[in-house]
Amino acid sequence: MDWGWILDHLDDLAFRTAQHLYLTAIALAIGLAISFALALLAVRRRSLYPPIAGLASIVFTIPSLALFAAFVSITGISVWTAEIPLILYTFVMYVRNIVAGFDSVPPEVREAADGMGYGRLARLWRIELPLAVPLIIAGIRVAAVSTIGLVTITGILGDRFGGLGFFIFEGIARGYFATEMLLGAVPSIVLALLVDRALVLLQRRLTPWAHPARPGSAPEPAAA
Amino acid sequence: MGFVSAAVAWFADAANWSGPGGIPQRLLEHVLVSGLAMIIALAIVLPLGLWIGHRRRGAAVAVGLAGLGRAVPTLAAIAIVLPITAAYDPQLGFKLYPVVLAMILLAAPPILVNAYTGIVEVDPDLVEAARGMGMTGPQVLGRVELPLALPVVIGGIRSATVQVIATATLGSIFGFGGLGRFLIDGIANHDTGQIFGGVVLVAALALVAEAGLAGLQRVLAPARGG
Amino acid sequence: MSGPAATVEFQDVTKRYDPGTQGPGAVNDLSFAVPAGRICVLVGPSGCGKTTSLKMVNRLIEPTAGRILLDGVDVTSRELTELRRGIGYVIQQVGLFPHQTIGQNVAVVPRLLGWDAGRRRERADELLGLVGLEPARYRDRFPSQLSGGERQRVGVARALAADPPLMLMDEPFGAVDPIVRERLQNEFLRLQEHLAKTILFVTHDIDEAIKMGDLVAVMQAGGRLAQFGPPDDLLAHPASDFVARFVGSDRGLKRLSLSRIRDVQLQAVPTARPGDPAAPVRQAVQADPFPYLLLVDEANHPLGWLDEADLPADGPLDAEEAIAMSPLLNPETTLKDALAMMVEADVQAGVVVDGTGSLLGIVTFESIGQAQRAPAA
Repeated sequence: MDWGWILDHLDDLAFRTAQHLYLTAIALAIGLAISFALALLAVRRRSLYPPIAGLASIVFTIPSLALFAAFVSITGISVWTAEIPLILYTFVMYVRNIVAGFDSVPPEVREAADGMGYGRLARLWRIELPLAVPLIIAGIRVAAVSTIGLVTITGILGDRFGGLGFFIFEGIARGYFATEMLLGAVPSIVLALLVDRALVLLQRRLTPWAHPARPGSAPEPAAA
Repeated sequence: MGFVSAAVAWFADAANWSGPGGIPQRLLEHVLVSGLAMIIALAIVLPLGLWIGHRRRGAAVAVGLAGLGRAVPTLAAIAIVLPITAAYDPQLGFKLYPVVLAMILLAAPPILVNAYTGIVEVDPDLVEAARGMGMTGPQVLGRVELPLALPVVIGGIRSATVQVIATATLGSIFGFGGLGRFLIDGIANHDTGQIFGGVVLVAALALVAEAGLAGLQRVLAPARGG
Repeated sequence: MSGPAATVEFQDVTKRYDPGTQGPGAVNDLSFAVPAGRICVLVGPSGCGKTTSLKMVNRLIEPTAGRILLDGVDVTSRELTELRRGIGYVIQQVGLFPHQTIGQNVAVVPRLLGWDAGRRRERADELLGLVGLEPARYRDRFPSQLSGGERQRVGVARALAADPPLMLMDEPFGAVDPIVRERLQNEFLRLQEHLAKTILFVTHDIDEAIKMGDLVAVMQAGGRLAQFGPPDDLLAHPASDFVARFVGSDRGLKRLSLSRIRDVQLQAVPTARPGDPAAPVRQAVQADPFPYLLLVDEANHPLGWLDEADLPADGPLDAEEAIAMSPLLNPETTLKDALAMMVEADVQAGVVVDGTGSLLGIVTFESIGQAQRAPAA
């Protein structure tokens, strides 16, 4: 391990980390928006769900190298060559979890909401969405972790891309220069784990009703 | 559709079927690394998962580790392992070992989680009845829990296999052979036919593996009613 | 607290799920009217269409034919969400919103109606108190922290929040155990005494229907109305074999729990005080068909029976001689309970006293039987 080399390249590290987050965030955001629309469609019309989910899983089985390579012939070497495959890969995780999130709303809650006079949109926004959040965040979590990994592979497209993966590709090109390879590998693993943890905490934050005070600590209920 | 004709042309070219960079060779390399990783992963992780499910102990740790394993970017995993194995064995340590080890890491979580889940979801009444009849722990596991858990367990193995086949292509970035080489070389040479040819081969391999395992599942665990 | 109560009328209401077919629908030609402030129970076996009928009132299900009038206005002519916000709706699984606190759950309809936060909070606290849940303890809890019975109470409070003129209740007490259910039923009836709301209540339990209903609509398979009327009518004069079977072969006993001592003609009984001279008393008792004398004290509180045969020819009456007391009944005691007590004590008559314990009269098995044989009021 050549620590001196690392110290010399700290600003590169910062740049590539920022690039990594940037590429990940775009894919997650656009992927979420599109998947949300697809999921709502699948919830309304159940028959659409199998084809949507099926298509998404087929896309997911395509090796990332292949998909990036394929898009090279379509969009050349541009940010979309990186982003479109990344977005496509998020679908399978997002759609399944968003649909499951809406499915997790108990039917009697929906019935009570209708009976009390909630309009369709109000019910979606006020009742169904908050209750779907835990599973939606689970979906974001899986998608985020997966996307962070895939961004490293975008380094195949050249040194304009790759995020932290750039160091891995460069390191190989320089004759398996271990220090550089590790400079890419270790931070990307750390990044993935940190984001995973952060989203778990976010999920707990957003669902206070799922983690109320334990029955032992609150006063015992008196009425039947 | 330009890439279809390019791919067809590439397959038609006899030169691509011979020599060290030819299709058969690459296919063999890919099958080798995938198969090796799967066999080792199964040998280590499958019994572990089954046992944890049977004993219902250590589940939290297992699931946590599986989650961690899933989070690790595979490219990074190969990159970290490589310097270590290279120092150990300058020949294979550069190409084969790091990819196999990273693939084991990739395959382990689905195998582990599905083995555990499959066993845990077996009707506890059946397990209790079996114990009541005088079966020992291992007998319960082997004769009652495992057969009933088989669909889920094999599902995990299928999922792992497909992922490994797809991700083994990354090994080519580090100079390993395998079908990924067609993708890497295709990008470098702007050879559309080679790229899509590689895609087709990987997809075909994955499908064959899927079909094979599905068949195995049908043989070992014929569908029950309900 | 009690706001306006609505009238509900079903006119030839039919629901057919398969519009093309000619066969019977889920509900067929259902017609009945519920006056304001009354509880009407829809009861019948599974699949008789009672829940479907209920849901047509707030249009969770739309009728195929016929009309449902709320205060004379066809429900289909009103705007949907506005209609529902004016009807309280309680279902068996309650359907509390898990992500909102109890206070927020109760205030749902007021919020939809645009009340301000202060008014909502006040109303929620008021209602929680009304259903027996201390506001300070419950308003900030989440549904997952409450027991089944508590959740059911919150469901009722939530339905009452905007003081709707009509409440729809679909097996509201079905998901709790019998002891809790009995308590909830009694408390609800007491609440209704204050609120006097019009309530449509669905149940499959005939005993619950008889207990809760001012009017009962018995429905049978095929979505038809078998009989409609006060519970006593159903028990005394079932309109068909089906109704007779449905109310149960013990309907005579069931009727007894509907009537009270005050519905029975009390009989006078010869009384005397300890220390009274025996001779004239003895004459009075022998003249009376009932062979016992009732000893009372100065405040007219019963002390015990003396057998006619044991009365001395003369001299003062001795309280010590008295046989132990019959069970004491009051005018509110149900006839079923009264008979049970009399049988248990192995006596021929029950002694009826008022709130202070003073004698009002006696009832015998025969006088109770006579009251039942009289045509239902």
